[in-house]
Amino acid sequence: MALLLRSVRLAAPMGTTAKEEMNKFWAKNSRLNRPMSPHITIYKWSIPMMMSITHRGTGVGLSGAISAFAMAALILPGNYTHYLDLIHSLSVGPFLIGLAKFGIAFPLSYHTYNGIRHLCWDIGKGFKIPEVYRTGYTVIGLSVITSLALILM
Amino acid sequence: FDITASNPVSALKNGTSCCDVKNCQSLFYQSALLARPVVVFHKEQQLHPLTARIHSSPPLYAGSDSNAASLHWTAERVLSIALLALGPGAYFCPGSVIDYSLAAALTLHGHWGLGQVLTDYVHGDTKVKLASAGLFILSTVTFAGLCYFNYNDVGICNAIALLWSK
Repeated sequence: MALLLRSVRLAAPMGTTAKEEMNKFWAKNSRLNRPMSPHITIYKWSIPMMMSITHRGTGVGLSGAISAFAMAALILPGNYTHYLDLIHSLSVGPFLIGLAKFGIAFPLSYHTYNGIRHLCWDIGKGFKIPEVYRTGYTVIGLSVITSLALILM
Repeated sequence: FDITASNPVSALKNGTSCCDVKNCQSLFYQSALLARPVVVFHKEQQLHPLTARIHSSPPLYAGSDSNAASLHWTAERVLSIALLALGPGAYFCPGSVIDYSLAAALTLHGHWGLGQVLTDYVHGDTKVKLASAGLFILSTVTFAGLCYFNYNDVGICNAIALLWSK
């Protein structure tokens, strides 16, 4: 008995993996035709919830933009400066240029700062609810300030 | 022993049930638990805040005592930190090395990030396989395109500088 206890220091392993368990869960639900519980349609939206999905949204958006750029580089004829000159020649006007720059700078800033917030959570810091809100507002504030600073550069 | 200790989930929640030897002994001999033998000593669980207990693993190494998922998690964080360092790196030392490092780090960070999105929203074996294949192709093309851009054109750092000087 003592030997058994000594060999099980943290946890005894389960027979199935997490992935298998998850698949079983979803397979059972679709087999029994279970409806999905209402969640985002009924739950009151909170700042942490909105920031979390924004982090995901900015991530997917940025990734998509990078992929689009990479594919354009492979497919389109002509080089980068050619297309930059093309955009220059459109003489879009400073406000729209500023808007476009904000459209790039803000998702990047937000995702970066919130990413740092995530890394702090990963080392175990900042989980108390007031801290979550405080760091959240800090991220939003810093993102706006950094984006504006980047536009004015 | 009390009923609450017989359920491993409530045992975790209570935090009291597993701390003495006698309860653990009886837990082991309970036949209902032998099918899912997960016994966690609460005190030791508190000492390991970094141990993520449940998260998805990539399709490889999915054996029940593989720590591939845990390593993947750690690698994701290390890559994020590396990417954070590449930002100021690109600003202060633009050049080929940073260009290719950015291409690799951005693509991999995006690939792993989109992989998590996939895991969250796509369910069912065939759908997961299809989506994973699609993601792999997208990431490969992205990396190829960025490297092509670095080699045959101005490179990422210069591209951003030129774009911003508008």
